[in-house]
Amino acid sequence: MIQRYRASAGIMLTPAVTLIGIFILLPMMLTVWLSFQDWSTQTPFSSASFVGLDNFREIFGASSVGRDFKGALTNTAIYTALSVILILPLSVAFGLMVYQHDVAGGTALRTVLFSTYMVPMIAVALAWSKLYSPSEGPLNQMLGLIGIGPQPFLSSPRSALVSIVLLNVWQQVGYFTVLAIAGLTQIPGSLYEAAKLDGANRFEQFRFITLPLMRRTLLFSAVIAIINAVQVFEPVALITQGGPVGSTNVLTYHIRRVGIERAQGGLGSAMAVMLMLSLIVVVCALFALANRKDQE
Amino acid sequence: MSFAWTSKLALAAGLAILPATAWAQSVNISYLTHWSPETVALLEAAAKDYAKTNPDVSVTVRAVPFGDLLTTLRSQGGGSDGPTIGGIYDLWLPELARDKLVAPAPDAVASEVKVSWPAGITSAASVGGKLYGIPNEIDVYALNYNKALFKQAGIAAPPKTWDEFKDAAKKLTNKEAGQQGFGMINSWAAGVVHPFASLLVSNGGELVKDGKPVLDSQQAAQTFQLYEDLIKSGASVPAMATADANTTGPFLDNFVSGKTGMIIMANWWESALKTGMGDKFADIATAPIPVGPSGGKPHSISYSWMTVVNANAGAAEQKAAWEFLAWLNNPKSGKNGASAMSDILMSMGILPSRLSDIEAHKDKLGSEFLSGYVSVLADAKPFPVVPGGQEFSESLQQTLEALQYGQVSAKDAQATAQADATSILERAAK
Repeated sequence: MIQRYRASAGIMLTPAVTLIGIFILLPMMLTVWLSFQDWSTQTPFSSASFVGLDNFREIFGASSVGRDFKGALTNTAIYTALSVILILPLSVAFGLMVYQHDVAGGTALRTVLFSTYMVPMIAVALAWSKLYSPSEGPLNQMLGLIGIGPQPFLSSPRSALVSIVLLNVWQQVGYFTVLAIAGLTQIPGSLYEAAKLDGANRFEQFRFITLPLMRRTLLFSAVIAIINAVQVFEPVALITQGGPVGSTNVLTYHIRRVGIERAQGGLGSAMAVMLMLSLIVVVCALFALANRKDQE
Repeated sequence: MSFAWTSKLALAAGLAILPATAWAQSVNISYLTHWSPETVALLEAAAKDYAKTNPDVSVTVRAVPFGDLLTTLRSQGGGSDGPTIGGIYDLWLPELARDKLVAPAPDAVASEVKVSWPAGITSAASVGGKLYGIPNEIDVYALNYNKALFKQAGIAAPPKTWDEFKDAAKKLTNKEAGQQGFGMINSWAAGVVHPFASLLVSNGGELVKDGKPVLDSQQAAQTFQLYEDLIKSGASVPAMATADANTTGPFLDNFVSGKTGMIIMANWWESALKTGMGDKFADIATAPIPVGPSGGKPHSISYSWMTVVNANAGAAEQKAAWEFLAWLNNPKSGKNGASAMSDILMSMGILPSRLSDIEAHKDKLGSEFLSGYVSVLADAKPFPVVPGGQEFSESLQQTLEALQYGQVSAKDAQATAQADATSILERAAK
């Protein structure tokens, strides 16, 4: 009986496992293999020659290849950290506002918030590049009305990356608000009623009921926000081209430049492997932290 | 067999053969470019004209932003379904030819190009003595300046030397009005590197000599120093210099809106200036690149573009593509002895490179804006076309941008640029 059960489970799992193997595991293994090769993306795999750790030495070295990679890795880390730090609290705040049934216009606000997520990134990038325009941009015109001088936004290496982060937050916050609302609906109302009877004020209810019970939702949101942020590509490709002075040169854009534009497949693969490893380490650390909190 | 049966059989056979015959005769070719929609419409019109005499060939035009052109060629050119024809920048040719993405031109086309184009242009379209593309445009850099702003600042004539250039830039700068004297460009490799290289060659220097970078020369040191001086004096504001993926953006906006007094730019942006400035385009004039302290006479940088054919396309598609390109660049395909290609290029203010096209467009090339470019063409030095050239350009771009934003000194920028260029060109030459 158990054997028959195992056999049928195996048969049912085979299609999914095969597809995952072909479309996910195989490309990942291929990328790892290529990261140890000297290979041009325009030539067959058979032309690749083994170079050991040379590609990794080069991307962490002092040459322009190493400088550009380390710069892109740092930019990606800053972009990801800022995105998550801004998106999560905002999504919870908006979620709390929208979740209040007695607040007028709650449904309209929910619709508006989520609509930004449905706008294609190309449209968002083009619109925001005009909003940020240093001479004719509406943002600078509005700042001028309150006596603040024109800001360079995308034209300065100090503010360009932050400007791209704000664009990302604007687009993504609606989606994460929906996730936050889903988390809020899982909290029993009786807990708030009991807390009220015990004299807890709104802040205490949020601090001791809402936040702890939303931990799983926030963990999921954080993981998705990190993965989304690490994959940022369109606004950089459409607006800044990685500049000025490489300040918005994020890893996905840089890997595309190295791997496709310059056809340096081995170097590009080594960079992709480092990106993958960094992502795995961050996500695992986040889960480990959450598990530790749960155990406490 | 009765007549009726014979007729039916013949009809059936005819119907069966018809689609196969039609399929065998019609050839679809695609043309990848970075041109604007208006220019793409002109190319499509030319393709329609071609179809009148070649109904079996259909040409589809596809445009991508300049920033995506090389990536698209590399990612799609490896297969037979990729673009059959691509317009490329000469700097990309050595590596595209090395990776067998572009096909050598047939003998008839190569012979025609060799006698109809200047030798320097033909050589930029060749690798290892083999011609790979039909050259179409040549671009050269010159100083563009706003005559109205010059008049306001009391400057009588465009600067001829670097001292005059720095003086003019200072006089044209008005911080309160948000006006800069000289506009640099950033976030676009060629936009950053070509004006710098034009000043360098006008100072008697070079980027690359005999395949090796020579950015450690005294002439290069002076050019890096000029950039630092312009930035430190406030005559050049890097925040006004940003470009986007379409090679437009704030640097262009600032020039067309009269916030930038001078800029070093190529002839092709005539159409962008006309569109942005309207009647005020008349305020824009062209002058040779100012001569540096180590230079003898004005020089500038030139580069060319060409059309290449996908080496992985089918034999019929390749043949049709070369025939179409030969027609497009032929003096009979355009107006008054000009090629259809040159008519398209001239609509953007781009100089055609075929000798007969230069002759056919003599009147328009004599316009106030373009004549300034034509006059510096003879002394222009071609941008070095070497393996690794694009990476070298992008690396120098990063260093120059760091200098623009005050992150490095002129001396450090020079040392970094030379070291990076040496390592990049050595690796690419292997």
